[in-house]
Amino acid sequence: MTLDTLISIILQGLTLGMLYFLTASGLSLIFGLMDVLNFAHGSIFMIGAYVAWVTTEALAGSLPNSDARFALALLAGTLAGAGLGALIEWAGIRPLYKRPIFQVLLTLGLVFVINETVKLLWKADIHSLARPASLAGVLMILDRPFPTYRLFLIGLGLVVLAAMSVLLRRTRLGMIIRAGVENGEMVQALGIDVRRVFTLVFALGSALAALGGAAAAPFIGLVPTMGMDYQLSAFAVVVIGGMGSFAGSAVGAVLVWLGRAFADYQLSPLVARATVVGLMALVLLVKPTGLFGVKKGGH
Amino acid sequence: MSIHRNALRAPWLPWLVALALVAAGPLYLNKFLQGLAIQVFALAIFGISYDLLMGYSGIVSFGHAMFFGTGAYLLGILLKFAHLSLWQLVPVVILAAVFLATLVGFLSLRVKGSYFTMVTLAFAEMLFILSSATELRPWTGGDEGLHDFPVPAWLSPTAQRTTFYYVALALLVLVYVLARRLVNSPTGRVLQAIRENEDRAQAIGYNTFAYKLAVTILAGVLAALAGALNALFFRNATPEVLGVGRTIDALLVTIIGGAGTLLGPVLGAAVVRLLGNYLADWFGSRWPFVFGVIYILLVMFFPYGLIGTWRLYAPRLRERWRKARAGGRAASAP
Repeated sequence: MTLDTLISIILQGLTLGMLYFLTASGLSLIFGLMDVLNFAHGSIFMIGAYVAWVTTEALAGSLPNSDARFALALLAGTLAGAGLGALIEWAGIRPLYKRPIFQVLLTLGLVFVINETVKLLWKADIHSLARPASLAGVLMILDRPFPTYRLFLIGLGLVVLAAMSVLLRRTRLGMIIRAGVENGEMVQALGIDVRRVFTLVFALGSALAALGGAAAAPFIGLVPTMGMDYQLSAFAVVVIGGMGSFAGSAVGAVLVWLGRAFADYQLSPLVARATVVGLMALVLLVKPTGLFGVKKGGH
Repeated sequence: MSIHRNALRAPWLPWLVALALVAAGPLYLNKFLQGLAIQVFALAIFGISYDLLMGYSGIVSFGHAMFFGTGAYLLGILLKFAHLSLWQLVPVVILAAVFLATLVGFLSLRVKGSYFTMVTLAFAEMLFILSSATELRPWTGGDEGLHDFPVPAWLSPTAQRTTFYYVALALLVLVYVLARRLVNSPTGRVLQAIRENEDRAQAIGYNTFAYKLAVTILAGVLAALAGALNALFFRNATPEVLGVGRTIDALLVTIIGGAGTLLGPVLGAAVVRLLGNYLADWFGSRWPFVFGVIYILLVMFFPYGLIGTWRLYAPRLRERWRKARAGGRAASAP
């Protein structure tokens, strides 16, 4: 394997890794704080992509600048995800806090409802979202062409990582979230309404997934089941990185996707897919709490 | 007179009558309805296996389809390529299910709660992806799955449907009795203790991991048998039998019938298969959506299921009925 091949594989792994990071970090945040595992997370990812696509189609006539259109599409997708997340938490999850098992069962039902709604609205056909003009080209890296859009995805992932780190480390809300992950009851005892933070975090996590979906849309085709593969890998990422740890999600995502990219290159696509679950199984054997798992207290 | 009354009050009598009615099924059911009943039996076995995990041990797996699907595929592959007889086949299916359940259980039971749920889904999806992989097409048939594998003549689902009906029913009764024995045994009590409070069960000195692994293996074997029965009836195994939809089937029959009751999944299977068939025709392509909405409403507002809700309200109703009668008598007395 030559150096340029190596770099090309690493960059490919990083691109997908960033998408998985966006999906996994929301999942991990929600679970870490609220102990709710959202099985509809992949569906929210998919909704982000569809809303971005619909926005682009709707603006096609009135807004000729494809970059502005794309930026608006990303924003619309993200906001739709946040709104949907808040709605799910408020209407579905909140009434069931006394019955945690049923929260999980509920989110599984949401997968059905959301996917079928999309099928009814936009058919099950594959739609595609065009890349904006400024991101449609290729960049030469060590004499190898590399799509600019992939670099944009890597950049987007890094920006979100930085923004989330600032939010979690430097703001009051972030402090409450981090405290809530470690010991929710104690935070409540200090007079903070954790429930309101729950809705906010659910919306935030869903927004991250929807942003991932919207950003992935020009990269993969739009089908109602497009979120499933991402969700499953996000599960593996979360198990590997550790529930509730933001850094864990980032490291897990990059590990999983580098592993997959190398397996894809060296072996076969089938083995590449198996690596994800294989890595997860390995981490479960060695360190069930994940590489960066947060130790829960006060339960 | 009083003896007669007591006999009527025997709690097992209605069930005996119901069993007799089902056993006499082929006398009054046509071939199509017998086929539907066979599907109910297979689904009921699958549901009971799921209920042992979710209802009795508090273990929520979203990957239960992996055992159902493994049973189905293994049956298909062995019938098609190894030409095994049914008596050689059943032990192989059971052994394979034990192996898979031990492996998956050993890994995933290291984590708890929704974490476990997530890991099981990942394992099941792994098998789902494998089943449709082009690399394995020679054995699994890829996306299309295995079709029309040769089934033993004496148990042909088309020519010998009545025989098939009784074999399926016998398997269901066997599984039911086995599950009943388990949940009423000391082991069953420990499982229920784990469901209520695992830390406490552990503190008393039980190796909860071993108990959970054991019930996972048993549930896996039963689910694999249900999958094999289902595949034998339809004479096919497609990737869909390993999909999340199958796990939802098991979940649904358990919730509708009542988690933590063994009759629940049986009743739930009948409701899901019979009502589902009817509603699916009625709603056409909108059915999956309506199905999802019904499922969510059930989860939110009908958590104890048919049997559970009945057990919850029956004593109150009986009490009210007794009071009303006593009250009436008091009022009529001068």
